[in-house]
Formats: sequence, C-alpha cells, structure tokens
Amino acid sequence: MPDNDKGMPAERRIGALLVISTVAALALAVVYIGGGQPQAEGALLGIALGAIGFALILWARGLSTEGTVTAERGPLGGDHEDEDVVEERIEEVSDEPGRRSVLKLFWAAGGALALAAVFPIRSLGPAPGRSLLTTAWKPGARLVDEEGRPVRVETLPVGGTLTAFPQDAEHAADSQVVVVRVADGEIRPRPGRESWSPEGYIAYSKICPHVGCPVGLYQSDTHELLCPCHQSTFDVLDGARPRFGPATRSLPQLPLAVDREGFLTAQADFDEPVGPAFWNRG
Amino acid sequence: MKRHLLVVLALVGGALAVALVTVGASAAPAQVGPPTTTAGGTAADVAAGNQLYQIACTTCHGAGGEGVEDRGPSLIGVGAASADFYLTTGRMPLDRPRSQAERKRVAYSPVQIRQLVAYVASLGPGPPIPHVDPKAGNLAEGNRLYANNCAPCHSSAGAGGALGHAVYAPPLNRSTPLQVAEAIRVGPGAMPVFGPEALDDEQVASVIRYVEYLRKPDDQGGFGLGRLGAIPEGFVAWVVGLGAMLMAVRWIGTKD
Repeated sequence: MPDNDKGMPAERRIGALLVISTVAALALAVVYIGGGQPQAEGALLGIALGAIGFALILWARGLSTEGTVTAERGPLGGDHEDEDVVEERIEEVSDEPGRRSVLKLFWAAGGALALAAVFPIRSLGPAPGRSLLTTAWKPGARLVDEEGRPVRVETLPVGGTLTAFPQDAEHAADSQVVVVRVADGEIRPRPGRESWSPEGYIAYSKICPHVGCPVGLYQSDTHELLCPCHQSTFDVLDGARPRFGPATRSLPQLPLAVDREGFLTAQADFDEPVGPAFWNRG
Repeated sequence: MKRHLLVVLALVGGALAVALVTVGASAAPAQVGPPTTTAGGTAADVAAGNQLYQIACTTCHGAGGEGVEDRGPSLIGVGAASADFYLTTGRMPLDRPRSQAERKRVAYSPVQIRQLVAYVASLGPGPPIPHVDPKAGNLAEGNRLYANNCAPCHSSAGAGGALGHAVYAPPLNRSTPLQVAEAIRVGPGAMPVFGPEALDDEQVASVIRYVEYLRKPDDQGGFGLGRLGAIPEGFVAWVVGLGAMLMAVRWIGTKD
C-alpha cells in the first residue's frame, strides 16, 4: 500500500465522500417526499452519484496495490514459522479497520441511493381519469387572447391569425386554439361542421396531434398551418387535414359562434381529445 | 457629355421631386375623406406612376392592376403600404413569376417608388403607408408581442426560418422600421395580416423597437456565438464538455 502521509489517509477521505453521498441521497428522498424541487433534486442526485464515483477513484488510486506483484516461489513445504507469519498477516489484513469500515460505508451510500429511488414510484399516479378527453372550453365561453382581451368579430382582418384561450381559463395549455380568419365562403366545412366557422373565422387546437408542439405558423397564401417541430402541414380550409409531415390526424376543430355583442364564443368543447395519441384514446 | 446630361437630368428630377413633396405635404391637410385612396399622392404622381407601371408591371399584374392568371395577383385594393413594402425592399419587380419575392437591390429611385405607390394606391382603397415612431414603443412589450406573434416564423433571434412549400420567412436584420410596420399591416406573401385591432400602432412601434434591438442584443452570459442557436452552442458544449471529461479521465488514469 502506498503511503499517504500528506494530510488525511485514503480511507478517511473515501469514508468522508461516502458519508457525503449517503447524506445527499437521504436529502434527495426528503426533498422528493416534500413535494420536489427539480434543481435541488438534480444537485443532490449529482452529489450522491459523484461522491460514490470519486470514492471509487480514490479507492483505485490509493488503496489497491500498484502494478503486478511477483512472488518468488520459495522451497515447497515451508517451515512452520513461515506458516505462522502468513496466517498472522492474513488476519491482520482482514481485520484492518479502515477497509472494513470503508466497505460498510459503500453499502450505506448505495442503500441510501436505492431508498431515494423508491419514492418516485409514487409519481406514476394518480390515474388521469377523463382529464385527457376534455378541455376547459364550455358552451358559450368567450375567446380571449394571451392578454385576456376578448376576441371580437372585427379583431382579425382576412388573412389574420391569433392564439386564443377560453375566458377565465387563460392559462389552460391544453385549451389553446389558433384562430384564423379567411374570406367568408372559402372554407369547405366537413359534414356537420357547417355552422362552426362564422364570418370566415375558424379555430383549431394549437397542439400538434403528432407529438404536441404548438402549430403556430400560418401561411396565409396557401391557408396552411405548419408545425415547427416536424413540418406537419395542415389545410385550414379542409378541416385541418394533414397534407404533409408525420401527423396523421387532423387538428381538432373548435366550433365557433358570434354572440349578440359581437364576441367570438365556443359553441362547445372539442368533439375529440386534443394533442398526441395516448394509449386509451379510443 | 453623357455624364453632364445625367447630372442635369438628376438635378431637374431632384428639383421636381422637392416640388412634388412640398405640394404633397401642403395638400395633405386639405385632403377630405379616408387617406387610404391615394396616400397623399398627387395626380401627377399617379400619372407618372402609371407610365412606370405600364413599362415593368403589366406582364404579371395586368394593364389596370387586375392581375394575370398564374403570373401575378391583382393590385386593386392592396394599398400604398403593400406597394411601398414590395418596391423599397427590392422584392418587386420579380424576375420569375410565382417564385418567392426576395429582398434584393432596389430597382427604382425613391421618387419613382413614390410615383408607383401613388398609382397602385389609386387603384382602390387599401392600407396606407403607416406612420412609424419606434420611440413610442416599449422594448419589453415588444419582446412579448414579438414572441407571441412573430417568433414562430421569424425565429426568436429574427433570423427567419423555413416554412412549407420551399417558402421561408425572411430574416429581419435589414428591414427598416417602416418596412416592418408595412409587413405587419399588409402580410406580404405567406405572412398573415395584423390589423390595428390585433396590434395597435403603439404595439407595432414596440415590435419595431424589439426588432431593432435584435440586431445588437445584450448577449446574456457573454458570448452570442453568432446567435445562430443550437448548432454552435452544441458545438461549444461538446468541445468544452469533452475536454473536461478527457482531463478527468487522464486524472483517473494516473497514479500519484
């Protein structure tokens, strides 16, 4: 064993690192149980794993024997004195307090980390229930822009676009719609959707049915909505049918109406779930 | 000899332009009705613009601005803002019909542009050339409005980006404040229109201030890396990160 006479011996340093790792892993578990804080959790996990890594490196550099050891073969059947010395030496090595405690500390650090990893199982729940099938749109809900200003019939010129939310649910990310206004009569509504686009206004869910990026790019000359992530292209005039790219489903269309005061409202919620597919989407 | 003639012509043209501008300016307050019809252009401007128009524009836009099938759209009702935008950015005249109009060298003198704009504006009521005062804008609000309305296509850094059908949203680094305002109001090419109900004049001024700021933003953290986004940033991360890891490997591998 190489002597480590400058400062702390290797065992002490390894031990300190493993204690740090154990404490960090336990703290990680506590933070997680207490509601979680991503930056703190990341830092603690980094400390827990990093300290174990450093301890292993120090172990390899400081405690293990250096190079290849060649033992000279002695005469076979050595005398009893030699045997006694060997036995003594073996006992000495296995009883060496430093190594024993270091090994125990390794177990402690590993155990603490395993314990911290148990709690995230809780995050698999609760079951989403019906929350993925509906959004915040209610019959008669007014459309408002990002600043909460209601959208009126004269808000958009033909060829204009904006992102709208349901009034009183301006931060409902799953409810955002991209509203486009085209010349009246240009839209080719699907059967049953004839009354969904008053005054040339038409609204689609802004969440791409491919993997959920915001479909925010409107090409007003070709009447297409483009998803910036994978270039899925949707035909605004034809019920947002996908024309290009990996999306296979049309954007869900929000049935629009104009109320007596000239505000744009939703007739009802979307008639299908918004966003990418999920396993029980149906 | 020829050079002399040009100088004389330029002087005469300049004097005429000054005269026309003065006439236009003095005529403006007396104007009655919406300013969208002629955008302050005088009858002489319209006539001169018509002459220029007949030389260069009729092939695609038709003799009376009614448009030509499969070549160019109708200009009736596009307004002065649209004509001014396309001409001052060099997008018109376009050498290949139905291709994306790109910013290039401006083909006409400012006087000729004013005349052409006056002619196009006389074809039918449309958006006038907007009044722009970037100082009236608020930089922080401009940032928010830009992120909501412009960044999806023009990118958060104003560098532009690809759209569908081999069309791209152009970079904004060479647009003048007036051109930005015109594009917002007109929606050239594939761009949507943003009317005064969606973005009022003050909000447009804020957007313009932010677009101006994007040319020389304060780079948080020191190096902007050309503000080209993820590729150069990733490159730096790889070089620095891999370098640090190599040092660590070297340290692990050496005995004291």
